[in-house]
Amino acid sequence: MKRTIVIGGGADAVVAAQLLARGGREVMTIEGASPASEEGWVPPQVVRELRLEGVKLDWPDPWLTVPLPAGGRLELWLDMARTVEAIRQVSPRDAERWPEFCDRLARLARFLGELYAAPPPDPLSARFALRARRLGKRGLADLLRILPMPVAELLDDWFENDALKGALGAAGVLHLLQGPRSGGTAFRLLHHHVGCPPGVFRPPRSNALELLRKLPRVELQQAEVLRVTVRNGAVAGVVLKDGRELDASTVVSGADPRRSLLDLIEPGWLDPELVRSLRHVRRRGVAARMRLELDRSPGFSALALAPSLDYLERAYDDAKHGRLSQQPYVEARCEGSRVEVLAQYAPYGKSCAGLADRVTALLGEHWGDAQPLHTELASPRELEEFEGWPQGQPHHAELSLDQALWMRPLPELAHYRTPIDGLWLCGPAMHPGAGIAGAAGLNCAHAILDR
Amino acid sequence: MANYDVVMIGGGHNGLVCAAYLARAGRKVLVLERRERIGGAAVTEEVFPGFRFSVFSYVVSLLRPEIIRDLELPRHGLHILPLESTLTPLENGDYLAQWNDHDQNRRELARHSLRDAEAYDEFGLMLHQMARAVKPLLGMAPPDPTALSLRELFGLKRLAEHFQGLGTKRFNTLTKLLTMSSADFLDEWFETEALKATKSASGIIGTLLGPRSPGTAYVLLHHYMGELDGVFRAWGFAKGGNGSVSAAIAGAARAAGAEIRTSAEVSQVLIRGSRARGVVLAGGEEIRAKLVVSGADPRRTFLQLVGEKHLPGPFVDSIKRFRFRGASAKVNLALGELPDFTCLPGRGAHLRGAVSISPSIGYLERAYDEAKYGGTSSRPYMDIVIPSMLDPSMAPPGKHVMSIFVQYAPYHVNGGWTDARRDALGDAVVDTLSQYAPNLKKAVLHRQVITPADIERIVGLAEGNIFQGELSLQQMFFLRPVPAWAKYRTPLSGLYQCGAGTHPGGGVMGASGRNAAFQILGAA
Repeated sequence: MKRTIVIGGGADAVVAAQLLARGGREVMTIEGASPASEEGWVPPQVVRELRLEGVKLDWPDPWLTVPLPAGGRLELWLDMARTVEAIRQVSPRDAERWPEFCDRLARLARFLGELYAAPPPDPLSARFALRARRLGKRGLADLLRILPMPVAELLDDWFENDALKGALGAAGVLHLLQGPRSGGTAFRLLHHHVGCPPGVFRPPRSNALELLRKLPRVELQQAEVLRVTVRNGAVAGVVLKDGRELDASTVVSGADPRRSLLDLIEPGWLDPELVRSLRHVRRRGVAARMRLELDRSPGFSALALAPSLDYLERAYDDAKHGRLSQQPYVEARCEGSRVEVLAQYAPYGKSCAGLADRVTALLGEHWGDAQPLHTELASPRELEEFEGWPQGQPHHAELSLDQALWMRPLPELAHYRTPIDGLWLCGPAMHPGAGIAGAAGLNCAHAILDR
Repeated sequence: MANYDVVMIGGGHNGLVCAAYLARAGRKVLVLERRERIGGAAVTEEVFPGFRFSVFSYVVSLLRPEIIRDLELPRHGLHILPLESTLTPLENGDYLAQWNDHDQNRRELARHSLRDAEAYDEFGLMLHQMARAVKPLLGMAPPDPTALSLRELFGLKRLAEHFQGLGTKRFNTLTKLLTMSSADFLDEWFETEALKATKSASGIIGTLLGPRSPGTAYVLLHHYMGELDGVFRAWGFAKGGNGSVSAAIAGAARAAGAEIRTSAEVSQVLIRGSRARGVVLAGGEEIRAKLVVSGADPRRTFLQLVGEKHLPGPFVDSIKRFRFRGASAKVNLALGELPDFTCLPGRGAHLRGAVSISPSIGYLERAYDEAKYGGTSSRPYMDIVIPSMLDPSMAPPGKHVMSIFVQYAPYHVNGGWTDARRDALGDAVVDTLSQYAPNLKKAVLHRQVITPADIERIVGLAEGNIFQGELSLQQMFFLRPVPAWAKYRTPLSGLYQCGAGTHPGGGVMGASGRNAAFQILGAA
């Protein structure tokens, strides 16, 4: 059997390469610039199958600090009881409801977590139906109701405090060109909750990629792929930018599907209808990334600046009409004196002029006497260039309901296989993708080896 | 002793349809209507001397053809006049027209975009297939996915088989339609802004969402499912206004033996021994019946007429969470002369069709933006028809009536609805329309502005929502109005519901009433 080539250096590509090598394939990985560390949950299946040791999922504690408009802060802790006490200071009613809310969402997240560690389910299969029914009567009713809902409505059902709702609502729109009043955003809150302890609604940081990249056994080439060669409808090899040609019978691409199928393949091999559908896969980057170095620790570990759902919605309104948010959503995470910031909404292709100052000013109100020594902002366009994220979208394909599960990124491609024999897709654009490390790689490798 | 087999709360079109089917099956039925006239939101009233209006709902399309057939509505006076075009005036002085005539339509679209003209037929075919895929669901009591009984499991299995029978490709398109925004969905097909906006407007009707919000693509399909004489997406106007639709159904019900009483407001459901036994009228009169069926919306039915204490706690919570949020208003104008559109001057065929003020998706989104934060749209989306062009009996000779559906005018407006706010909304409508038809202002003889608060007060629809509850994905099919209670039954034995707050929901469709009747007859 000829060689298998894996394109990309992200967690999914590494997991796929490792599993294929362990499955007896001769594997070579080709990667360009080394990718940024990825956030997110690592499914236990990935840890188990690769026998990874020392995987750490890390949440700051408190996992989120929310400044209150009237002064003071609401701190959300890993410890449920402590969070309840903190919420009680702003709303006794919300504190009362918090444990049940967390419990009900955690049940649904566990269900999604099971789906995420396997290939996308067939929604019409008896197996899927039986699995869903294990959620119980209330769980199933919750799931059916919550998935298509606007996150704002879900939160309005439960809570009254604007700051709490703003901070939770933001999890429904991260990296999405939608506002909290748009349908389908409650699903995103659940998605980011998968793998988290009950009551924690931000994905963890993990050392998974670091550990994965330390694994031996796979030959690595630092190069850019120019083209995947296809002969008679089947993969024949890849051509590198430096002119080298490598033979391969299987190519697994961690690049986004549009690049993999429309740029790397010579036109003409694909059905025009698939090409049309691929061009409609939405992947609009909406967040700028900012890194700051302060002269001291800012006094918070994770900070969310979204005083209310309306604040988020207004930030989205700007982006919806093609403008940079005047009052952006800002989420900052800090280690020591280094702060990494997400600023949303900054639509792809629009100037981010003034955004760095705006974000610094907004954050400056919350870091006391600290002074920034160095700031650096990357717009979606720059993120596309530096990180290879199409249009600056880290999930490669926006994770909206119509691009999730068996529709991710397109129903025709959801099973990692492409119409080109021997060409497979893994990466964030594939199920489950979007911030879940290695699961798409795992599912893809299984699909290849099972064949 | 029960005097009646069934007492029906509310003489709206669903209540009347349900009553007609029950009466035809030999049940002794009494319909009680609070207002002095039957029809609910499907009424014709002479608002100004000589000028008759379909005051609330104003077109017919969704009314199920099987109901028209079963109840022989044409024999009872139903006569539908088709609307043949939709005109969208543009801000640059041009227009986009969609005609029922295929060749004319194609020529017009090609004027804007050859590509769109090419795609139009395929788009129509696709939507037609989707409408056919969903159609069997409309006439079905939704199976309960949370139930354990074999009968429900069998129902679910049949549903799964129905979807499997569509084939992978159509099933995928259907799931996309269910989960996408109408704007994204249309972006995949067309490039002409006005075409996308006018089509996506069907996706926001009656809903407090913008065309870019996921979930609106389904509402678009819902509005496409109207059939007239076997043709999907055909809209028409009932001769004599929408009141004549109600009158025809009522005629069928009476002919089958049903009794209808107007000015008979039900104040509560009579409950004895945890069972509905009849109703109590506002005057104190008690009417006994074996079954009570409510055509009122879920909030009024359960929280007002039944009362929380007779219902399980989780059910009450779900009803309280059911979202209404009326988003639309109605402006009815009596005109001394026809509007003269700058983009298409004169008394052309376009005045016999609909006029849609929806020049771009951005326009609709901006209209929505204002409503999100509790304002009304200063430049609203409008769907306009001139019924007197099709049925001259609606207005005095030479004069006309114009019916304007307006969105967004949210029920929950900052500071609440006042006379001043209502007038401001009317002004915004007339001003906006005058931009396209400058003679309108002087043509207006009388103006009636109906806000969501007015709809609630007059017709009784909670928060003025025209669908008896938002038609969003989380409130549809087996979730409408409450999971596990979507089969027209209620937790109170002896009480059924048949309004648009149940599956399949709104529009002058009648399917809820018909499905409920079959459930009642099947259970008895």
